[in-house]
Amino acid sequence: MKKWVVLFRKEWLEMSRNYKIIWIPLVFILFGLLQPVTNYYMPDILKNASDLPEGTIIEIPLPSRGEVLAQTLGQFNQMGVLVLVLAFMGIVSAERKSGMIKAILVKPVAYSSYITAKWLSAVLLSAASIALGMVASWYYTGLLIDPYPFMNLVKGTGLYLGWIIFLLTFTVFLSSRLKSSGLVAVCALLVSILLSLSTSLLGKWMEWSPAQLTTAASSYLVDGRVEGPLFLPLVITGVLVVIFLFLSTANWQRK
Amino acid sequence: MKIVEVKSLSKNFTHHLAVKDLSFTIEEGRCVALLGPNGAGKTTTLEMLAGLQKPTKGTISFLNAKKGDYREQIGYLSQHPVFYPWMNAVEFLLFIGELSGLSKAAAMKRTDELLEIVGIADSKKRRIGGYSGGMKQRLGIAQAMIHEPKLLMLDEPVSALDPVGRREVLEMMKLLKKKMTILFSTHILHDAEEICDDVIMIHDGNLAVSGSLPELRRKYQEDVIKISAEENLEEWAQTIATWEVVSKVEYRDGSVEIFVKDVAAARSPLLAEIQAKQIPVTSFTVGHTTLEDLFMKVVGK
Repeated sequence: MKKWVVLFRKEWLEMSRNYKIIWIPLVFILFGLLQPVTNYYMPDILKNASDLPEGTIIEIPLPSRGEVLAQTLGQFNQMGVLVLVLAFMGIVSAERKSGMIKAILVKPVAYSSYITAKWLSAVLLSAASIALGMVASWYYTGLLIDPYPFMNLVKGTGLYLGWIIFLLTFTVFLSSRLKSSGLVAVCALLVSILLSLSTSLLGKWMEWSPAQLTTAASSYLVDGRVEGPLFLPLVITGVLVVIFLFLSTANWQRK
Repeated sequence: MKIVEVKSLSKNFTHHLAVKDLSFTIEEGRCVALLGPNGAGKTTTLEMLAGLQKPTKGTISFLNAKKGDYREQIGYLSQHPVFYPWMNAVEFLLFIGELSGLSKAAAMKRTDELLEIVGIADSKKRRIGGYSGGMKQRLGIAQAMIHEPKLLMLDEPVSALDPVGRREVLEMMKLLKKKMTILFSTHILHDAEEICDDVIMIHDGNLAVSGSLPELRRKYQEDVIKISAEENLEEWAQTIATWEVVSKVEYRDGSVEIFVKDVAAARSPLLAEIQAKQIPVTSFTVGHTTLEDLFMKVVGK
């Protein structure tokens, strides 16, 4: 346990030395705050940006406060996932490539501690970044459109984090198996896109999919209740996270 | 007392056998050199001993314990030591020290000691990314012995260093071997001869020769007389080769190396011969075969 803490502390030191601890939250805060702001000023932006004929009337209904927050989640699900996958694609594979992993594992350290310390620090930083981004979005939505109940925000974001934790675990798993960080990113993004697409296209068949959590989170933010399956995807996501975490920590030596 | 016993160790990779049926023991307190040409399987053997690779076959027992995690008892320096370039030396040694099982206070104390011993105390607050090769090697040795291991394994500790750095690391190893058992691999035979007690020579993954240095000398060392002259000695060398006391003659770079069974019996006839044939000799040296000659014999060149 003590060694796990040492490894965990090293991850945070590293993330602060390479400024991940600053830029990842900043990116999410920026995305979060842009969503209500662009929604609010959209008519003005269009008016100034395009050369529409004189007298054109632009009428865009202002989205509801819940819709703005759901849009923010949608934004996170595209750019946010990309940022997180790129930030953590090399979390294990880079150290495997450099040989650092050998320098650590030649010490009496359990491989599972090594992986879980990395996994938890990636999950915590990502969760905190997304939470901060959602709070930024919530704050500006309240300011510009209509105050939104904070507890609903917390619950909706919580549901969404299930999907993110699944994706991060899968990224860590790939990173522990593949040598090339680029390949890790491609595979992780591909899986995220395929799962999201198939979940929205083949609704009936994909009720178990972790990507259902994003749909659930969106509908919760908009309507205050979850449409569609919730329990099943939550359980499956939990199981998949455990399975992939277990697979990442299993036998690392070359046979 | 045996500290490590390796029994019929083998390692297969997908397309080749890196190590084949290797067995040897290491006695406590000895300094052992693992010799062999590039690709002989030295690194694979060391990594298996360090627990970084799983042997395909065979057993490694450490202090007579067949199973179990003995990583706490060993220190290991890989051939190309790597560090976190964004850490400084103190941070890195503390990190490794705590991972090795030391308390924070103990790790701190050892860090200060080791930085002095390996001579990088002046740069301890600098980022490791900016270190020279020699400094990294020293830091590598420091991290390997931070927890005072029983067995220190160094993979090619001096190969990548310039002559000054090499000298310093060798001197350091001479000091260290008084305190712990050392196993190091190298292909620089001169270094091995200088500091090791025992030699394990492997070739193509097989054990070729092993034993203590004096033992090997007794068994394999031959006397050599080396003669150079102003004229070409090749023809003359052939006539010498038929002599009773001569076991082998080699003509190399303008000088003749005559391997003899008995120097005393060979010296005077040779000198007489030179006198008689009026050979314009420039040098006449009597010496022994070195580890390098044995190595060349083993490697088959």
